[in-house]
Amino acid sequence: MVVLSAARWVRSRLSDRFWRVQEVLKYARHFRGRKNRCYKLAVKSVRRAFVRSTKARREKKRFLRALWITRIEAASLEHGLKYPAFISNLLKSQVELNRKVLADLAIYEPKTFKSLAALAQRRRQEGFLAALGDGKEPEGIFSRIVHHH
Amino acid sequence: VAKTSLTSPPWPEVKLPDPVEEAKYHAEVVQKVNGLISAGHYGRLFAVVHFASKQWKITSEDLIMMDNVLEAECGDRIRMEKVLLVGADDFTLIGRPLLGKELVRVEATVIEKTESWPKVNMRFWRRHNYQRKRIIANPQTVLRINTIEIYPCLS
Repeated sequence: MVVLSAARWVRSRLSDRFWRVQEVLKYARHFRGRKNRCYKLAVKSVRRAFVRSTKARREKKRFLRALWITRIEAASLEHGLKYPAFISNLLKSQVELNRKVLADLAIYEPKTFKSLAALAQRRRQEGFLAALGDGKEPEGIFSRIVHHH
Repeated sequence: VAKTSLTSPPWPEVKLPDPVEEAKYHAEVVQKVNGLISAGHYGRLFAVVHFASKQWKITSEDLIMMDNVLEAECGDRIRMEKVLLVGADDFTLIGRPLLGKELVRVEATVIEKTESWPKVNMRFWRRHNYQRKRIIANPQTVLRINTIEIYPCLS
């Protein structure tokens, strides 16, 4: 006789429970306390750890950029320039180095950073002179000294 | 007229050097640097290169790992063309924004093309029975920078 379906009193029983539990516990082995041994506590901790690592991967970029900016600010203050002046004048002189590379240069190539600071300072002074103009008063405008006759 | 606090502007007065003298000084410096380059009086060169949408500060015998695929087989020599800065101990050449191709030559070889370690991407909202887990392995390429050469064609 042909049996097409299994008999009703046969149930399937889980045979690889150990490995399913180990899959989660292997990520919790370096945790502190009972959550590195007990499955119920480990599941919650491992889930939170994964979620925190995904969010941290996005915030790492912000954090590193702030670190580079702090380092560049410190290095440019050693050469007598503030960070916004330094960066804006470098960009105006068409030098497109990003903050990561500028921070590395400030640490490992001090002479190069000094020359970049000098370039930014010179461009800043040229900008000021261009903005000030000739130093004469513009024509056709009411002079400050009013003569009463 | 007596000098008051408003006779001169509060910012320090700055005078730029004479343009003619400056041009002579610049020409002298350029000739000196050209002489140094052609004589070979430089030690280790470093360069800042724009590659794979990132800027790298590299020297020779350097290893670089990119988080993407490069369409070149392992062992292919590659020339990196977007060089932003080249420097040695005594002089630096700053590009605005790039340096010329006849001035610098950066060569690299593709060493390895692998995948990154399996990163876990998980989203979880508490009390809403929502969790998604995804394992991502980005393709990575490892390059070794062989040489950085400069040629004396400054003007």
